[in-house]
Amino acid sequence: MGKWWSILFGVTMIACTLLFVVSPFVGWWLPEGVSTHSWSVDLLFYFILGITGFFFILTEALMCIFMYRYCSSEKAGRTVAHAPGFFVRTYNKWTPPAIKGSIAKVLNDPHKIEMAWTVLPAVILLWIAFAQVDAWAVIKYQSRMPRYAEKNQEFTPLQIDVTARQWEWRIRYPSSERFVEWMTRKGDPEILKDFQSFAKIEQKDDVKLVNELHVWNHHPAVLQLSTRDVIHSFNLPHMRVKQDSLPGKQIPVWFTPIKHNTIRLSADGDVWIDGYNPDTKAQDRNQIWDLSCAELCGWGHYRMVGRLYVHESQQDFLDWLKSVEAKMLPPRAK
Amino acid sequence: MSVAHPAEVHAHPEMNFLSKYFFSQDHKVIGIQFLFTSLIFLVVGGGLALLVRVQLAWPHAEIPLLSWMFQDNGGRMPESFYNMLFSMHASVMIFFVIIPVLAGAFGNFTIPLMIGAKDMAFPVLNMLSYWFMWPAFVLILSSFFVEGGGPAAGWTSYPTLSSVAMPAGEGLQSPAAPNSGHGQVLWLLALTFVGISSMLGSVNYITTIINMRAPGMTLYRMPMTIWAMFITAILQAFALPVLTVALILQTLDKTIGTTFFLPDGLTFGNWITGPGGGQTLLWQHLFWFYSHPAVYIMILPSMGMVSDIISTFARRPLFGYRAMIYSIAGIAGLGFIVWGHHMFQSGMDPRLGTGFMIATIMIALPSAIKVFNWLGTIFHGNIQYTAAMLFALGFVALFIIGGLSGIFMAATPVDIFIHDTYFIVAHIHYVLFTSSIFGIFAGIYYWFPKMFARQMNEFWGRVHFGLTFVLANCVFFPMHILGVGGLRRRIPDITASPREAAFMPLNQFITISALVLGAVQIIFVINFFYSLFRGKPAGRNPWNSNTLEWSAPSPPPHGNFETVPIVFRGPYEYVEVEGHGDHLPQTLKLEGPAPTAGH
Ligand SMILES: [Cu+2]
Repeated sequence: MGKWWSILFGVTMIACTLLFVVSPFVGWWLPEGVSTHSWSVDLLFYFILGITGFFFILTEALMCIFMYRYCSSEKAGRTVAHAPGFFVRTYNKWTPPAIKGSIAKVLNDPHKIEMAWTVLPAVILLWIAFAQVDAWAVIKYQSRMPRYAEKNQEFTPLQIDVTARQWEWRIRYPSSERFVEWMTRKGDPEILKDFQSFAKIEQKDDVKLVNELHVWNHHPAVLQLSTRDVIHSFNLPHMRVKQDSLPGKQIPVWFTPIKHNTIRLSADGDVWIDGYNPDTKAQDRNQIWDLSCAELCGWGHYRMVGRLYVHESQQDFLDWLKSVEAKMLPPRAK
Repeated sequence: MSVAHPAEVHAHPEMNFLSKYFFSQDHKVIGIQFLFTSLIFLVVGGGLALLVRVQLAWPHAEIPLLSWMFQDNGGRMPESFYNMLFSMHASVMIFFVIIPVLAGAFGNFTIPLMIGAKDMAFPVLNMLSYWFMWPAFVLILSSFFVEGGGPAAGWTSYPTLSSVAMPAGEGLQSPAAPNSGHGQVLWLLALTFVGISSMLGSVNYITTIINMRAPGMTLYRMPMTIWAMFITAILQAFALPVLTVALILQTLDKTIGTTFFLPDGLTFGNWITGPGGGQTLLWQHLFWFYSHPAVYIMILPSMGMVSDIISTFARRPLFGYRAMIYSIAGIAGLGFIVWGHHMFQSGMDPRLGTGFMIATIMIALPSAIKVFNWLGTIFHGNIQYTAAMLFALGFVALFIIGGLSGIFMAATPVDIFIHDTYFIVAHIHYVLFTSSIFGIFAGIYYWFPKMFARQMNEFWGRVHFGLTFVLANCVFFPMHILGVGGLRRRIPDITASPREAAFMPLNQFITISALVLGAVQIIFVINFFYSLFRGKPAGRNPWNSNTLEWSAPSPPPHGNFETVPIVFRGPYEYVEVEGHGDHLPQTLKLEGPAPTAGH
């Protein structure tokens, strides 16, 4: 009867393992990673999944085997004074059969076993820890973020201001004119000053949208994140980006997309749609990329969801920016 | 087996009903009081969880039983009510179930009995630690019924959502979360009282364990339960003041308009807050400085109890006794410097995140050592599958999952993706439900005969375990998948994002499993109360265990032992010696000189 329990444990753990194996095939898995961050984040994820998966299977298997093998024949709760001498004789001086040499030496000495299962996990854990450091620094350290280009061979990132409030994302872009200056004039102290002032000072000709974040492919975007009321969390799952916004602070966030999902409906129209898959050249539900709030921010938290539009090229982005400007009311005096 | 020793006169005056069962200073009665009130709150917290699950699986449906409350909303649950449900579920489970059961109930019951003391060092303080829970009970339960309903800013209560208050003179309403004005204040006060209770308890535990051990009970002869309670009490004593301060500061922000957590000029509708100068991150630091150690306060006692139970029913000495102690101490020590891993994405300087990450990943090491040692204990054992042992083994099997999944979120880059997703929900429930609560069930099945002199029904105990084990995995394991898929936590309606809506079938499976899991607990309730009155009478030592509590009568009288027990050996000598069966109780003297006083 007792052996039945080890089988229950074993079957349950196998079912859990199978769920992890099957899920990716039914679409319950990491959303497609489409930024330069996603490569390192996903690699580390699979790396940890492999190591933890191995130790999961190892320890659960040992547990089930021991539970099966060392099940008492005695009824629970009764004295086992006359239990088979085998179990008792082996107290503290177990000799593994069939294992000889140096491994047997370790296995015969509880202190050596303990040393082994202390040092080995310690080494593995330290290795896991240090493997994370660089990816984390690249994604989050302000000193490693793209900045205004000082030299000709560098690229100035697209800079966008994102202000969260209950329960929407307010997104502010530079005017197309200013944008072109940022992108073309490099190493110019005047432009640098203007570039740095963007996040601090709003200007009349800024382009403002709600819940629509536009960037373009293969070019870094730096978002200046802030909030007007409570803590929100800026979450772009496909870009592997998540950053809380803090009341009273401005926090930069950056990423570089490696795939686009937005096309212009007709060559000179002013309608752009997302959900386009450049691989299949077709509309695809999985190419609609959420910009959601990940930190509880009140009753409307769940529906604080916007969209991320990645244009194919800088020119396409500029065309879009101009078309939004043209629609802005009242018409600006130029 | 206890050794002849001059009987000590116990002068315990006759007591009336009230002083025996209500205002008792007997540690066992106080422990049982904690146990009963916490089990009632377990039902409350579980009910809240089931409502959360029902809303998640059928977000647009009328809520059965409760739809009368939501008539303005077409019988459907308002989002703010959902936020209140999960906030209160976590608060109740953490502060009114797990901490009081482990420290309050098991700490109180086991500590004097297992170290061979007559009672706690400060019996009056001990009684007060229970009665300080009552203001907390009243406050937290009344928060459901005040204007606006219970607190809805999460159990973490991050400012400014939780803390911002309307300008003076406009009452306690919150402009950020209108439904958690009064409720939030009651929550803050309730937790302050829980803190006072825990603080009184931990001072008592530390003193008792240091000063009141029986002769021969050296530190390294203490059972793991006592070591875990000891280290937990130290954790409580050092971490709690920080939470208490934070709670008081937020109460001041909320009531008299201080701005500890309120920066300048925030906009809520058409009201702009005035000068602030406060910091929302300050709350997170203070809160997690307590609440991360609190995770260990909620798991270490279970680990200790499980160690004793596994050794008893495997009929084997606990493998690596000292390593087990050092690893508990290691977890507790490291536990103080890892709070920042809750804040990797919070806007804290990311360079701090790197340091917190390395400390956090290393905390997996003592946890791994414990798992290996438990496996080493059942290896070559003679395992008796009692209900207590099954819950203890279930603890080990599922703590492995909770421990390993922790590595994902400790790794800062991976945490970017899984932070605030269901992966976190899965992780905390593997640690708190399938570990802490499994440890609590194991402890109840194990010490029930000592508490009430009757045994619980073993058959139904095993049925309870089997169903709970399978269903708990059905509920919590798929949440890992939801998290890997990026499903955000704390959202009442996953269809708000088409991408997240794809997880609906899995959500419904989880909810159905959770409802069945809840129903299965009725087996335990019936077994508990039936056994209380009709259970098989238990002798002193129904499990043939070694530790001191089993040498006392069942139930132990006020004063515990007939004679002061003398301890001759460690707690885990499950070994066959001619003429002594398969175990050597701690009070058994075999040969050699009697030990001198142990402290
Ligand atoms: Cu939000």
